[in-house]
Amino acid sequence: MTCDELKDVYELYALGQLDGEEKEEADAHLDRGCAVCQSSLNQALALNAVVLTTSPDAKPPARLRHRVLASVGIERRRWGWAAGLAAACMLVVALWLGVQEQNRKAELDAARQTLMRVQGDRDRMLEAFRFLNQPETRQVGFQKGPRGNVFVNSRSGVLIIATNLPPLTPGRIFQMWLIPKGGAPRPAGLFTAGASGDAFHILSGPVDIAALGTVAVTVEPEAGSAAPTTTPIIAVPVAF
Amino acid sequence: MFLKLLAAGLVYSVLQVVLRFKDDADLARRLKARDPHAMADLYDRYGRLAYSMILRVVRNSAVAEDLVQETFLRVWNRAQSFDPQRGALGPWILTVARNRAIDYLRSVDGRMSSGALDLDRLEHPGLFSDFEDSALSIDRARRLKAAFEKLNPHQRMVIELAYYEGLSQSEMADRMKQPLGTVKTWVRSALKALREDLSEAVSA
Repeated sequence: MTCDELKDVYELYALGQLDGEEKEEADAHLDRGCAVCQSSLNQALALNAVVLTTSPDAKPPARLRHRVLASVGIERRRWGWAAGLAAACMLVVALWLGVQEQNRKAELDAARQTLMRVQGDRDRMLEAFRFLNQPETRQVGFQKGPRGNVFVNSRSGVLIIATNLPPLTPGRIFQMWLIPKGGAPRPAGLFTAGASGDAFHILSGPVDIAALGTVAVTVEPEAGSAAPTTTPIIAVPVAF
Repeated sequence: MFLKLLAAGLVYSVLQVVLRFKDDADLARRLKARDPHAMADLYDRYGRLAYSMILRVVRNSAVAEDLVQETFLRVWNRAQSFDPQRGALGPWILTVARNRAIDYLRSVDGRMSSGALDLDRLEHPGLFSDFEDSALSIDRARRLKAAFEKLNPHQRMVIELAYYEGLSQSEMADRMKQPLGTVKTWVRSALKALREDLSEAVSA
């Protein structure tokens, strides 16, 4: 067969599907280095490739890329993925530990504050006990609305213990006043009450018992006032 | 069966892939140098094309995945013989991919795999030299599709059977229940028409 006669068989030849006499002829031409047939084969391979690009487009699954790269032993992404996962896990653990640390710190701070408050309460109670334990301490009771007692000690000061105090609105506070006989009220300290309306408050320091007329308590803005701005909820006349 | 194949032939569609043929030379050099990133680039460039083509032949996505993997493994192992200056990566990969798919079809059908050695020889990278830069392009794929649609149903049928079912001309004659001579005439005339339309496109 001539090169020209073989021209139309090289596509099938290149596909590996030529058989019989045509294949033998094509093999013979190529084996002896026939340039025309080499060129025909080259063109046939090119045409075949174009035909093969015309398949309907189909998107391969993403895992295929991993498989392909892994199969030639160069897939680093899988490890990268694992390392990424490990890093993510570590990050989560670190964040969790960080949060735990934060929580612990917050708990510790809260505990410390509670301890300080309890210690403060205890100190004030011990002070109150010492106050009450002194023989010269004098006592006056009150029971209109808030109930309780006022204790006066000329060397130690004034202690008020009260229950049934009205709840304070936010931004308000109880303020104690010492009102001398025939004089203006003098500020004697700020205090708050517990949830049940119980409170005690001490004004430490010497007190001129002879001049003292009244111990009073008003509700004031939480910074305290220089002079009472509301009607006293407690007003205990003391005359010793 | 005939009508089904005919219908399959009519759904030719152009792959919307950009085939950057020119920088394939650089990619081929990196493949030869066993640059791992080159393999990833190769897959990103030709993986979808190979998968689409193989899927068309085997019509089973799990099998197609296996065969794509086999294709790229083979290309990786044989890249040493590829000539980056003169070689055409795309046509080579497509040929390797197509041969894996046809091999699979033949083994499933229990057909004689007489051409196995030939297939191996016919996908040697040295054969894919001195192609035009635009050997694979969307434009050429479009023109081929147009040329294909001008073929008569018998011609389309034999092209379909040759490329996507891997039948020899005598097998086509059996399948189509036509004389071998008639089948050969359809094959020759169909290929001639495609070839001419494509070369006209190149020279135009």
